Amino acid sequence: MTGSALVSLLTLWMLPFFSAIVIWALGPQLRRAAGVLGSAAVLLSFVLACALFGVATAPGGLHVTPLIGWAPGFTFGLLLDPLSLVWVLIITGVGGLIHLYSIGYMAADKAVARFFAYLNFFVFAMLTLVLSDNLVGLLVGWGLVGVASYFLIGFWFYKPSAVAAALKAFVINVFGDVGLMYAIFVLYGATGSIAYADVFAKAASLPSGVILTACIALFIAAAAKSAQVPLQTWLPDAMEGPTPVSALIHAATMVTAGVYLIARFAPLWNASPQAQELVGTIGAVTALLAAILGTAQWDIKRILAYSTMSQIGYMIMGVGVGAYEAGVLHFFTHAFFKAQLFLGAGLVIHALHEEQDIRKMGGLRRRTPFAFVAMAIGTLAIIGVPGFSGFYSKDAVIYGTLEHGHPLLYAAAVVTAGITAYYMFRMLFVAFGGHYRGEVPEARLGMAQREPSEPVHAREGHVPDWVMQIPVGVLIVGSIGAGYLAIGGAQSPWWRFLSSLYGGAQATAPAPISELLSSLIVLAIVIAGVAVAYYRYGTRSATASAVERLRGEALRMPAVLTNAFYFDAAIELLFVRPARRLGALFAGFVDPAVIDAGVRDVVWLTGAAGYLFRALQTGLVRGYALTIVASAACFVAWFVLTGAAR
Amino acid sequence: MIAAIVVVPIVAGLLCYLAPRRAEALVTSVAAAIAFASAAAVAVFRDAPDESVRWLVQPFTAAFHFGLGPGPGTWIALMLGLVAGCALAVTRVPRRRDFVAQMLVLLGAMMGVFLARDLLTFALFWDLQLVPVFLILVGWAPEGKSGSAWRYLVYNLSGGLALLLATAAYGMLVGTTDVLGSASAPAPAALQGAALWWVFAGLGFAFLIKTPVWPFHTWMPDTYADLPAPAAAVVSAVQSKGGLYGFIVIATVLLPGPMHAIAPLMFALGLIGLVYGACVALVLDDAKRVVAYSSLSHLGLILVAIFTFNPLALGGAIVYVVAHGLFSAGLFITLGEVELREETRFLSRLGGLGERNPKLAGALTIMVLAALGLPGLAGFAGEILILTGVYQAGYPAIAALSLVPIVLAAAYMVRVLQATMHGPEIPDLPQREDMTVLELAAFAPLVVAVLLLGIAPGAVARSANAIAASPAVATLSLRAARR
Repeated sequence: MTGSALVSLLTLWMLPFFSAIVIWALGPQLRRAAGVLGSAAVLLSFVLACALFGVATAPGGLHVTPLIGWAPGFTFGLLLDPLSLVWVLIITGVGGLIHLYSIGYMAADKAVARFFAYLNFFVFAMLTLVLSDNLVGLLVGWGLVGVASYFLIGFWFYKPSAVAAALKAFVINVFGDVGLMYAIFVLYGATGSIAYADVFAKAASLPSGVILTACIALFIAAAAKSAQVPLQTWLPDAMEGPTPVSALIHAATMVTAGVYLIARFAPLWNASPQAQELVGTIGAVTALLAAILGTAQWDIKRILAYSTMSQIGYMIMGVGVGAYEAGVLHFFTHAFFKAQLFLGAGLVIHALHEEQDIRKMGGLRRRTPFAFVAMAIGTLAIIGVPGFSGFYSKDAVIYGTLEHGHPLLYAAAVVTAGITAYYMFRMLFVAFGGHYRGEVPEARLGMAQREPSEPVHAREGHVPDWVMQIPVGVLIVGSIGAGYLAIGGAQSPWWRFLSSLYGGAQATAPAPISELLSSLIVLAIVIAGVAVAYYRYGTRSATASAVERLRGEALRMPAVLTNAFYFDAAIELLFVRPARRLGALFAGFVDPAVIDAGVRDVVWLTGAAGYLFRALQTGLVRGYALTIVASAACFVAWFVLTGAAR
Repeated sequence: MIAAIVVVPIVAGLLCYLAPRRAEALVTSVAAAIAFASAAAVAVFRDAPDESVRWLVQPFTAAFHFGLGPGPGTWIALMLGLVAGCALAVTRVPRRRDFVAQMLVLLGAMMGVFLARDLLTFALFWDLQLVPVFLILVGWAPEGKSGSAWRYLVYNLSGGLALLLATAAYGMLVGTTDVLGSASAPAPAALQGAALWWVFAGLGFAFLIKTPVWPFHTWMPDTYADLPAPAAAVVSAVQSKGGLYGFIVIATVLLPGPMHAIAPLMFALGLIGLVYGACVALVLDDAKRVVAYSSLSHLGLILVAIFTFNPLALGGAIVYVVAHGLFSAGLFITLGEVELREETRFLSRLGGLGERNPKLAGALTIMVLAALGLPGLAGFAGEILILTGVYQAGYPAIAALSLVPIVLAAAYMVRVLQATMHGPEIPDLPQREDMTVLELAAFAPLVVAVLLLGIAPGAVARSANAIAASPAVATLSLRAARR
């Protein structure tokens, strides 16, 4: 480790933090410069991360410790190894592009400086999360990204819906933090240290019960952050934030922290097959449920939110069954195409003056051709068409479940791929195909009557279109090409890059079918999904009668889907309401009628005290004060006199 | 010089009454300067030798013995100086000169509590600190609300009386009360049997009421709600820490036997308070009462930590005592600013202040985040050290149960933030200007302290090392671990 590498690491970590502070402090004076400053800080971090590539991939990575110590075993340091490097590159690289895009997207917002301060703070928090070399540092990053997400979901804090969504996201995320805290107790209790290196060194010798407990606690954290069932309900609501936030935090980076957590703690998961079974199953269930809900959404950002949840389900499934390279690869490719999809949706929303409902869109391939190209390529990538990045990563995950002996998960993953193809093409056909429906009244489209909301942006942005288009263009390159790193399976650059971490873990069971056959099966299912979407929304007769068809679909939508399988209602019934009832009972009955009444009785029962009490209650303040002072003086005098008398 | 930290504020407070009423702005500034100077003095003289004047020989020896040193008292005194300075700097109440005078007396009396190295001196300052709070409650509580003053006095004076009697008994039995100087003093042989238990009962009763521990807590919400915000800040931040400080520094070292024996009961009371306070904070509408009940919850956690006798948890307890002082003072001060601007502190009537008061919103946000235990800020450092220690001491179920209120804390603290600062602006509320530069400057030390303590609590945590390493505690934690 050289001194310059150390300085680079500290700089790339702290730069976004100081930039956030500067932007936050100078605030209104900065205006347009806030975006430039914020973007420059993140992109400079990206350059530094690239410069550290060689050091990070060397054996042992770049490990700086100790920076700070709290107590025995509580020592903090930084670690940059291949796994954290993947995340750092995406956080600063894709994050930097999203910063650039935001210069255009947020140009007309009067709180643009606050926006960039939050965004930079988020990048710092996320870097803390992935660069920490210990559990508590991880938790610090974990909590800070949660609060950054809270700020950004509630960025337009005068909107009650945004405030409610922010609260929900925050509380569920704290529930996850608490899971991570319990994992820290267990692992510190068992190993006497919070450092990864110490914990992993002793992982093999720990009792299996301890490992399973720690894994489950870690997974609660992962599920809350990565929106896995049953802690997923906050993510669709989080779309209340500005669209670049959805792209950066609620698609590309923060929500994949759970994937990082599991990939980082691979030594623990490898030692606990039950935990792997649990994680893989939850991932598959989430992927499937979210895909089903994706078919029932009208808001373009909620469609993408459910697709994010579903794709993270794939990643969790991958790292859960032990196919770490594949799971992390899917994170890597997903970051490109999902950011691109969200930013493309942002272009559409921008062009239509905050319209997000695809029923009010239609025919946009002509109105916003660039956004159409971006969304179309993103769709091809996410559904896994060969030649696009999603194909390589998703197939690797799907086949990985089979290689590690989970045929049921494999089936769920294949079915989900088909549904994904269906709902993504549904969105493309309804929003970009046919004719523009912006002038059609809400009622004819089966939409609820809406309050006319005040426009968040002025009608014209002051920034040329290319400010928003160039970042999207760069992401298009990534969402096509990122997967090529993995061509060649175990001999590919990707697998070799991560070999120092996962080289030992190999497939446990010979898969019953070859990888090629598996790919063909998935492809067939995907084509079937696209075909169904085309038949329902894409044919000439479907587009001709689009208004009536969409209205019919909206009115016939099953309640179980519009209520997202009633998870919200269940949480409300099981947790929120009992806690409030208990609070009302304590405040309204126990405190006044039990405790206070008891104390009063005790006071009155001591007869003399009671008498004295009444006699003293003369209501004269001076009298009370005099009494206290006099008693104190008497006491002191007695002590002094007896002391003086010896 | 150490004694001056105690004496100067009290004398200055009494001298305030000589100043003309018109000079109240000047008096306030001087008082804030004295408070900050007391914090600086604590920092400067932390390694200075103890100062002691013997004043009692019969029936037992006692001394006006003050000291700083590496123990927890130094950190709490430092926090007290900062909190009092900030609270005084933002004070804007009617009859300000008289209020400031009482606050200075309170500052000196509380310094006396935490710097005292003699049990009798400790007990005398313990009672002295009731006087200014009682007078402030009587003089400045909202119209027709003198009930809270009485309730405060009846509760705390009965605690104080018990403490005084127990101290006298201790002095008679042991022959001296000048015993708080070192943490490693072995328990004296003279204390045995019933006498030991009576002494402990007196001390424990006083500490339980002062903390307050459930179910002795009902004086607290009334007191905090009726005190003007600066006084509520100081009382909640520091005065209520006297009880926990007493348990850690006095009872654990002097009376380890009974401490160990009542640990199960204290676990139960601490856990009840922990959950009870959090649930109540979830539903109340009065912002100050929400903070009051959140204190009940947080202090319950510290109580649990103390009775594990685990070194990590004891260190965490000190960190959390200081952290809670900082953020509860910060919360009361910022909520006081809200009340000053909007003439109400009921959450259902507030909203949208952040739009026009970004600085106040920022200040409240930081304190709310510290209070709900955001990793990286002071509250979290205390929580994680405490709970890791509790788990390590062999109580995984208690550690797990203690996590529930952390989730509730996120809900009720964010509720306070959102109900005041976020959402649409409420049109019929009066609007005032944002925090001034001076107010921000006075508030800044609290923010810096919350950040520093969150990042590097090591020095504060280590202040409990001497206690954790004392022979009495070492055997206790060993016994606790074996159980």
